[in-house]
Amino acid sequence: MASYVARRLLYALLTFFGITVVVFALVHSVPGDPISFYIGTHGVSQLSSAALDAIRREHHLDEPLISQYLWWLRGVLTLDFGSSIINHQHVTTRILEKLPNTFILNSIAFLLAAAIGVPIGLWSAARSGRLMERTSAVLFFLLYSLPSFWVALLLMEFFSVKLRMLPLFGMTSDDYLQMSAAEQLLDRLRHLVLPVVTLSYAQLAIFARFSKSALTEVIRQDYITAARAKGVAPQAILWRHAFRNALIPLITLLGLTIPFLISGSVIVEQIFQWDGIGRLYFDSILTRDYPMVLGLTVATAVVTLLASLLADLLYAAADPRIRLEEQR
Amino acid sequence: MKRYLAALFLVLACSNERPLPPTTSVDESTPQEGGTVVRRLQSDVSTLNPILSTSGYDRFVAFFLFTPMVHFDVNLQVIPGLAEKWDIAPDGKLYTFHLNPSATFSDGSPVRASDVLFTLKKIVDPQNEAPQIAGSFEQLDLRNTKVIDDHTIAVAFKQELAAQLAHFNDLLVLPEHVYSKGDFKTDFAARAVGSGPYRLVRREPGKEILLERRPEYWGKRPYLQQVLFKVIIDDGTAWNAMKRGDIDESMIAADTWLMESRRPELTKTIDFRRFYTLTYNYVPWNTRDPMLSDKRVRHALAMCIDLKSIIDNLYHGTARAMNGPFTPDQWAYNPDVPVIEYNPQQAQRILNSLGWLDTNHDGILDKGGKPFKIEMLISGGANPSNPFSQLFQSELRKIGVQLVITPLDPSAFIQRALAGNYQCAYLSWDLDPDPDPFPLFHSSQIPPHGQNFVFYSNPEADRLMEEGRRELDQSKRTTIYHQLHALLADDQPYTWTVQVSSKWAINKRVHNVKESRGWGLFKWYPGELDWWIPSNQRTHDAAARRR
Repeated sequence: MASYVARRLLYALLTFFGITVVVFALVHSVPGDPISFYIGTHGVSQLSSAALDAIRREHHLDEPLISQYLWWLRGVLTLDFGSSIINHQHVTTRILEKLPNTFILNSIAFLLAAAIGVPIGLWSAARSGRLMERTSAVLFFLLYSLPSFWVALLLMEFFSVKLRMLPLFGMTSDDYLQMSAAEQLLDRLRHLVLPVVTLSYAQLAIFARFSKSALTEVIRQDYITAARAKGVAPQAILWRHAFRNALIPLITLLGLTIPFLISGSVIVEQIFQWDGIGRLYFDSILTRDYPMVLGLTVATAVVTLLASLLADLLYAAADPRIRLEEQR
Repeated sequence: MKRYLAALFLVLACSNERPLPPTTSVDESTPQEGGTVVRRLQSDVSTLNPILSTSGYDRFVAFFLFTPMVHFDVNLQVIPGLAEKWDIAPDGKLYTFHLNPSATFSDGSPVRASDVLFTLKKIVDPQNEAPQIAGSFEQLDLRNTKVIDDHTIAVAFKQELAAQLAHFNDLLVLPEHVYSKGDFKTDFAARAVGSGPYRLVRREPGKEILLERRPEYWGKRPYLQQVLFKVIIDDGTAWNAMKRGDIDESMIAADTWLMESRRPELTKTIDFRRFYTLTYNYVPWNTRDPMLSDKRVRHALAMCIDLKSIIDNLYHGTARAMNGPFTPDQWAYNPDVPVIEYNPQQAQRILNSLGWLDTNHDGILDKGGKPFKIEMLISGGANPSNPFSQLFQSELRKIGVQLVITPLDPSAFIQRALAGNYQCAYLSWDLDPDPDPFPLFHSSQIPPHGQNFVFYSNPEADRLMEEGRRELDQSKRTTIYHQLHALLADDQPYTWTVQVSSKWAINKRVHNVKESRGWGLFKWYPGELDWWIPSNQRTHDAAARRR
């Protein structure tokens, strides 16, 4: 097991370096540079070329790409991601400022989607092929294909503008600081409702269909038929024999979903004015704020790698055969 | 489980939401003190340090916290700000400012001439990476700039510039004893000490900024007790917030204006405003491109733009035709310059006479075996440059010119424009109150030195622009710019299209909201400082109570 973990870690490290090279090359090959932010977003006025030169020098924009990369890598290895070219703030500070917001929103949406989606998937696996299950499959595909900006606007229009039941945007009310602890919690929950619903309805459909197909696959296996022939109760077959073996694809899905917990969603964050990573990422790309884009990409890459590492370890835990193969 | 979910939903849903404000009649003539106005920021400010500001939104907030050396009044004329009066030496190179002796910063210390000098030094120091504001003081002669006494400073320049006095509106004076300590670039992003009528209560990045009136303010006291800026990026969300009464003002999109501004249930509480600001749309022509280097070709292409139809159908009458680098509200505007008439037949005749003929009968003009095919860069996404370019494309097709439309994001576009790697585009400019078009059309400003990315070079225009920016006599300057306007319209380095009006929604509980000639609702004096809210309509006071 230890060598298995060590090997996985080594792969992760190599992948990480590969990612930094690719991302750096990609970001710099997009046409335009941070200087164009100053030239392009402002009206007719003379710009000070001395100041523009100072920006180029400080961020090494006047050097060859290789040396820019080495400058940047040197920072990354000492955990210094540099500072934003646009507003001079440290990349790490900016990310840590926004990360909790994105994380809270996305993990609640994720948990909700999983908590509702997986049981529905199991339920439909048990009733595979019946009319109810077929209908629900169609409904989930419909749900999955609804564009989130449209759903968000409908939810807003109905619950916030017409009924005035829920807040329109933001994470807390104006008088949040004067509230008692219980009121504060309630206030936060109220602000979470619409964005969470917007984020989770499509995920819910994915979870439901994914767990359904995983379980259906397992139910067809001979040992299930054998268990059924032995006279084991259907509930016990489903939970004790089938579900554990259906976990593998679900773990893969989990590994794939975790990075989204921190990468944020531009659309939902913009519409609900949820001050998170998604919007920061988007703006940084538009302004070609290289240190910011790179910092965010590295953060996402690290989480993705950790998530797939976690998935690998969970595979081993869920399926003893994976461990055995490693020992051979 | 279902029951719990339902119960949870009820709890979440039944909490109190603010009721709509009552509307009762108030005496308009006597402003009332106090109250909180809630403003919208379309994007969070990048920093509260006014020297480093990079967006217009930064200036919206800075207007309340700092005082510029000079203000602009409702007609965008220069009036006293922190400086009560000033003398300009006859050669236009030395400005002596007399500061208001009663002026104080929000920490109680007096504003001194040394603070002005300190701020100027910070502006022109390249290490501060403030290319915009440093551009306004590019000609500053720091060695001859001297503090004369506590309240007098003589600011020297290497070259006279007619717009220089107006540029002092960018000089928001900082207290040296505060801003000289710590890291100038990062330490003042979320705190501020200025001499403005308001002081900062708090800034929550990405969310809001709360300002409070200074009780001991040295100038004319504003009416509103608090100003709360809320960041709302999305236009649709902001419009919903406007309808709910969550915010008091917001710029609104053209389609919102069209669909909502006449609905009686909305006009009861919302005041819809439309006015022109210092902005125009234009098609820049790369004059170094072999196909576009002849001004007759550019004129012919311009004749294919049906401005009347664009104004009526695309902007529903909320735009007006442009014909040169100045807007009709500016004194530099020459009323005798005509708008280019829509006349595709004439355009075709001109191109034919220049040798562009459809020799191979494929419907596209050609010359020397080369078809007349040009590319237009537009910014990606849903915006008015999109339908404009399509209309232009279909008009050009009728006379045998093929227009290829390429959407790009702004940074990518700027790179291609500065490299001269384009033929035409559809863009807009925001202008300064001073009309000097030197940065756009003078031959010295051709990239990489400046923003003349149409590569326009005409010695006569150069001369007019050089004279115009140095001429301190207003009537002579007007004559120069009138000539320049006619010359640029004739040369067509740009084809100017329309000036689109700015559209706003303002909650009617906010009184005395006036617009300036060119800057709209904000940043001019007294502008927002004269707004007031009747005491019986203060729905937001509890919300912004000091914490």
